[in-house]
Amino acid sequence: MNILTNLEFSVVEALRSIRRSGLMSLVAIGIVTISLTVFGIFLLFAINLGNMVSFMGTRLDIVAYVDRDLNQDSAQILETAISQIPGVDKVNYIPKDQAWKTFREEFGAKLDIADVVKENPLPNAFAVRVRTPDILPRVAEQVARFSDVSEVRYSGKLIKQIQNLVDAVRIGGAVLSILLFFATLLIVVNTIRLTVLARETDIYIMRLVGATNSFIRWPFVIEGILMGILGGILGVIILRFSYDAVLLRVKSALPFLPVVADSGLLTFVYVCIGISGVMLGMLGGYISVSRILKEKG
Amino acid sequence: MIDLKNISKVYANGVEALFDINLHIGKEEFVFIVGPSGAGKTTIMKMLYREELPTSGQVIVDRVNVTELTAEQVPYLRRNIGVVFQDYKLLPRRTVYENVAFALQVTGAPRSQIRRHTMQALELVGMLKRASSFPEELSGGEKQRVCIARAIVNNPPLLLADEPTGNLDPQTTFEIMELLDKINRRNTTVITSTHNKSIVDIMKRRVIQLESGRVIRDQQLGMYHSK
Ligand SMILES: Nc1ncnc2c1ncn2[C@@H]1O[C@H](COP(=O)(O)OP(=O)(O)OP(=O)(O)O)[C@@H](O)[C@H]1O
Ligand SMILES: [Mg+2]
Repeated sequence: MNILTNLEFSVVEALRSIRRSGLMSLVAIGIVTISLTVFGIFLLFAINLGNMVSFMGTRLDIVAYVDRDLNQDSAQILETAISQIPGVDKVNYIPKDQAWKTFREEFGAKLDIADVVKENPLPNAFAVRVRTPDILPRVAEQVARFSDVSEVRYSGKLIKQIQNLVDAVRIGGAVLSILLFFATLLIVVNTIRLTVLARETDIYIMRLVGATNSFIRWPFVIEGILMGILGGILGVIILRFSYDAVLLRVKSALPFLPVVADSGLLTFVYVCIGISGVMLGMLGGYISVSRILKEKG
Repeated sequence: MIDLKNISKVYANGVEALFDINLHIGKEEFVFIVGPSGAGKTTIMKMLYREELPTSGQVIVDRVNVTELTAEQVPYLRRNIGVVFQDYKLLPRRTVYENVAFALQVTGAPRSQIRRHTMQALELVGMLKRASSFPEELSGGEKQRVCIARAIVNNPPLLLADEPTGNLDPQTTFEIMELLDKINRRNTTVITSTHNKSIVDIMKRRVIQLESGRVIRDQQLGMYHSK
């Protein structure tokens, strides 16, 4: 076997037939583009929501307010006790003076609150960081049981809701992506089948003179791969530009939202889309020619 | 070269095309298969290059049991069998040269070899000058020469011609038969089915006569009709 001659033959044949199927090929490439774009949107959505969850999970830990008149020694004892609860990562003591200072620094300029409230109204507190968001409720409950703790706050409910949303988006996205994949596959298969039908005599002659099935398949598989790559590239271009635009808007309108801008992660998404395009095309090409290669006897 | 042992063929639609055929064809023979339409001539040919499988019996070609080949092995059998059709089956968008070279390309032959063998085959059938013509620019006889060139371009030991002159006038028929004879003398076994009485009578070769799927005559130096 001469691989170079074979490859040349296959690529030439594939380009020939894409040109011959003209409009139909364009339509198929367009549909591949749309499907891959939708797939990409879901990927980006899922990644962003996941990112948001982990962001909130690490930033918003449990805050335990303690009684106003707790002395330094009891606070020390309480801190040690809290840090021994299973699942607790670390405990930070936040004296009321420091909390007041931080509060004034963050909001003071806007609210002029320091002028209204002269006395520090905040209690001393512990910031308790847990290892995973799902144990937040249990740890919070345990912290609340200490008699010196007056109040416990954590954003567990919100996280739980967002986590549910993430799961829904993931499942929905996966289901929709699979459906889209098959719908698009069907269109790719039918487009390439046009070529297969147009070349029925060629295929008949190829089989007659002893071409192997894989040799006969290659041009069609390459035709599919070319369609998939083109659809993938277009999809990535569309996603890139629209994601960059969305990123810009979100950053100025909702600056506190943690949107993924990590170029490594985004590259991964784009590579995923490219690979999906190639797989889609390859499979489409393979299937389109399969029936005609089935041996009778 | 060829052994058919107790071949019977019933097509999927229930048509019984062949009944218990037993034949031996030696290396470098030239054989005519004759018989009325529907007798089973094409069916026998198809058994040899495994376009069809027999319902029962064994087909041996060049010591290979064709009936037992796997789908992956069939292409390699076919590289050793050239096939020529009544309707030529040339690819319309390819030139004469490309049509013949195609048979080598699809077997993955190296480029230098493709060129050399294609030229030799076109030379042998007398079509070298028309190498860059398209099939539609050729007469029936010329098309059949190209079809023959494609069938022999990789030097198969066996050439099957199913009514190769069915669409040709007597003079062209004679030329094509001469060409097949020439190929036979270059150590290729040739099996030709035909309805052409005069050519069979002139060439005086082995004649196998079929009727309703049975061999009713197998005669060396035979004529079209039994005497
Ligand atoms: N693919 C097929 N499916 C079903 N029946 C078939 C098929 N091919 C051939 N037959 C039947 O098998 C019988 C033998 O056909 P075959 O083509 O071998 O005849 P033949 O001798 O080549 O005839 P002709 O001289 O007209 O070419 C016929 O009755 C035909 O109808
Ligand atoms: Mg026939």
